[in-house]
Parts: sequence; C-alpha cells; structure tokens
Amino acid sequence: MPRVTVRLHGAFRGFAGGARSAVVEASDVAGALAGLVSTHPALAERLRDEHGRLRQHVQLFANAEDVRHAAGERTPLCDGDTLEVVPAVSGGRDA
Amino acid sequence: MPRSVTVLVGTKKGAYRFKSGASRERWRMVGQDFAGEPVYHVAFDPRDGQTLFAAINATWGGPRIEVSRDLGASWKTAKNPAFRAGSPLTFSRTWHIEPGHASDPGVVWCGTEPAALFRSEDHGMTWEGVSGLNDHPERTHWSPGGGGLGLHSIAIDAADRRSMMIGISAAGVYESTDGGLTWASANKGSKAVLPAKGDASDLGRCVHHLVAHPAVAGARFQQNHVGVYFSAGNGWRNVTKGLPGDYGFAAAIHPRDPGTAYVFPLEFPMRMNGVAGGVYRTTDGGKRWTRQARGLPPGGRYEVMREGLATDRFDPAGVYFGTASGELWGSADAGRSWSRIAEHLPPILSVGTATV
Repeated sequence: MPRVTVRLHGAFRGFAGGARSAVVEASDVAGALAGLVSTHPALAERLRDEHGRLRQHVQLFANAEDVRHAAGERTPLCDGDTLEVVPAVSGGRDA
Repeated sequence: MPRSVTVLVGTKKGAYRFKSGASRERWRMVGQDFAGEPVYHVAFDPRDGQTLFAAINATWGGPRIEVSRDLGASWKTAKNPAFRAGSPLTFSRTWHIEPGHASDPGVVWCGTEPAALFRSEDHGMTWEGVSGLNDHPERTHWSPGGGGLGLHSIAIDAADRRSMMIGISAAGVYESTDGGLTWASANKGSKAVLPAKGDASDLGRCVHHLVAHPAVAGARFQQNHVGVYFSAGNGWRNVTKGLPGDYGFAAAIHPRDPGTAYVFPLEFPMRMNGVAGGVYRTTDGGKRWTRQARGLPPGGRYEVMREGLATDRFDPAGVYFGTASGELWGSADAGRSWSRIAEHLPPILSVGTATV
C-alpha cells in the first residue's frame, strides 16, 4: 500500500491537537482521509457531515492539484504523494 | 447564597466570560474561548453549578457542541447531533442548548437547524434525535424564517419534568406533556405571520424567543415576530400593548417573579431599537410596560439578538443584554439602571448567566 503524507492547514490542525501532518497508507484520496481520521478521530466530524459527505469548506489538493479537477476522492495516490487538507474560503459574488 | 455571577457571551467570533461578585459593580473578563468561531449560545447548567455548553457553528469544521465540566477552564467536543441515515436533513447549526429538568440529572436538550430537537443523557456528550417532534406530520408546513428553519427555544416546566415547549421559526410553539414522546402545536392566542389555514391553522407563527420560568410551574413568556405573550394556561395572552412596537427578538423572565419580564423592542425592518429604545420591563404580567433606559446612551441604536437578553439569580435580579455592535450591558437593580460591562466585542449573538 502506498505511503502518503497528509498535511493539515489552518483550523484543521487545531482539531487534530496541533498536528501538522500524518503519514498514512492509502491508494486514493478517500483512503488517505480515512487513514487521517484513524490517526486523529476528532477530525471525523470536522471533515464530513453525518451522511459521510465532505464538508463544504474542505479543500483537497493531491500533489498540489485540486482533486475536484481530477477524480475527487477517487483520485489515485502513489507512494510518496502528498495530500493537502486546506480550509477553503468562500464568499463574494461574480462581477 | 450565590457569591458571583459570570455572564456568558456568545459572539460572531468566539465566546467571552465576564465575572463579578454579588454587588455586580466591577467586572473582569475571565475567559475567551473558540476564537474566531461563531458561538450561537453558551448555556450554564444550574443543576451541578459547573457545566457549560457552547453551540459553535463554524465555517471550518462545521457545527459542533463543546462541553465544559469546570466552568470553562477546559472544554471537550461532543459527538454531533445527527439525522439518521437516509434522512434528507443534515445537521447544520445548533441554536440553543437547554439543561433538562432538575430531576433529570445528565439530561440536556438542544435545538438545531434544520429544525429538530435532540436529547442527551450524558451531559451533552452524545445526542439522540427526538422523533416525535422531528418526524412530526406537520413538518411539511414549517417554513424558514429570516434566520433559517431553526428550533431555537426550549422551555422546560419548573415543576413537571414531562412538560415542555419548544419554538421553531417559522412554525410556532409545540408542546409535549409526556417528556418529549409526542408533540402538539400550542399557538392559540398568538398571531400568525404566514398563511395558516386548514390543517396548519395553528402554525405560521414566527416565535422569536420562548422562555419558561425557572421556578414557577406553567409560566412561559415569548416574543414573536408580531407580539409579546405570556402563557395563559390554555393559550397565549397578548401583552404587546404599551410597548413601542410588536417586533423584537430577545425575551427574558425574572428569576423569582413570573409576572416580571423583559423585552428589547426593535423597529422592523431595521432591526434596531427606535428613539424610545432600551429594555422594557413589566412587573404585572404585561398589563403595563416601563422603559428602562437609565444609563443607556440617549439616542443609542442597538440590535439585540434572540439570545441576547438574560437575568441572573441574585436578589435584586441582574439583567444583561448584548448588542450586535459588541456592547455588553448589565443592571444590578432588576433593570432600573444600566452600566456597560464591555465594549468593542464582536457582534454579540447570545448572553447567559451562571450564578454560583
């Protein structure tokens, strides 16, 4: 199983007791998030709602690419890859 | 005899605690928690004198409830209230947390958005949906108010642990007399703001805040979108006459006298007090209202949210309100005169008290 580094940013570090990253075994983004939650259970409800959906302001980048432009949580990961978990900012409106 | 009171302030960016002795003349900030996160409500559990609950509705990490068993020195994150698998509803905000009846230690209730009631039996650490209300057949008639479709008020009877009311915007008041198993609308006597016909004739009420008296059985008080009401046994008694208007959000009741209550009338649609603004108090069950503005800045315009007005348990009672402009005001003489406890806070969403 590939070993992947998951990096936490902003508020998500606080929910993980200050941890900045975790190394997990996973072959895709969903697996990496599951591994992250296994290491830091307090993140479970901070990342997903009760129906398992990713919360709106969780932004994921696999090797610096927004996974929404790839295969979402099915985006494959390889040994040595990095997944960034970023608190997204939203607001404003189109000009 | 209580020796101190701590005012619990929820703001758009964190929670604050201000403490004073019985004189309530000098205040100091004793705690600041959840920096940057919207805190809709901070509640104190008078049954054990040491538990606090905080309703945090964060953009990052979503809604959550935090519980302190040491008056805010430390906090633990609860397991979220959750709608059952397959439900079209998703827990998105906590509006209000209410400790259960004195004879039910450990029982806590919370109201959420989408409008639903949850019950905890372990001091708020885990929650179970109250299906008798959450799956109510009238749910299809509930419509969101300006703040969403929220269950924001929980009023537990002082004497009967099985008797309670809740308030939903904009459906109205529902009552249970069997501890929450079954619920019926209880809006007789209060005005509707939405079309209320046929099966839904008792609905369409936009209750803004509903409270139960902490010591007197059956005593309830509410501010809704178009009026102020005391409970009258079988229905609601409109006591709006004598107020500058029928609109407002905040409502509080005196800790001992069920005929003494407080509101903060607002002008619609500005949602700020008018020229004759301030706290209004009745001491005779709503027959007469008196403006209580001594000490408040003349001409000051304030917005006070639905949870923004509270009393303590001292004698004379303390009364407190917080404003959307970040000012916290207190009265140590049951509302007759006011002094500013704090200013330059973030917009205040809720005010509560812990009299210890």
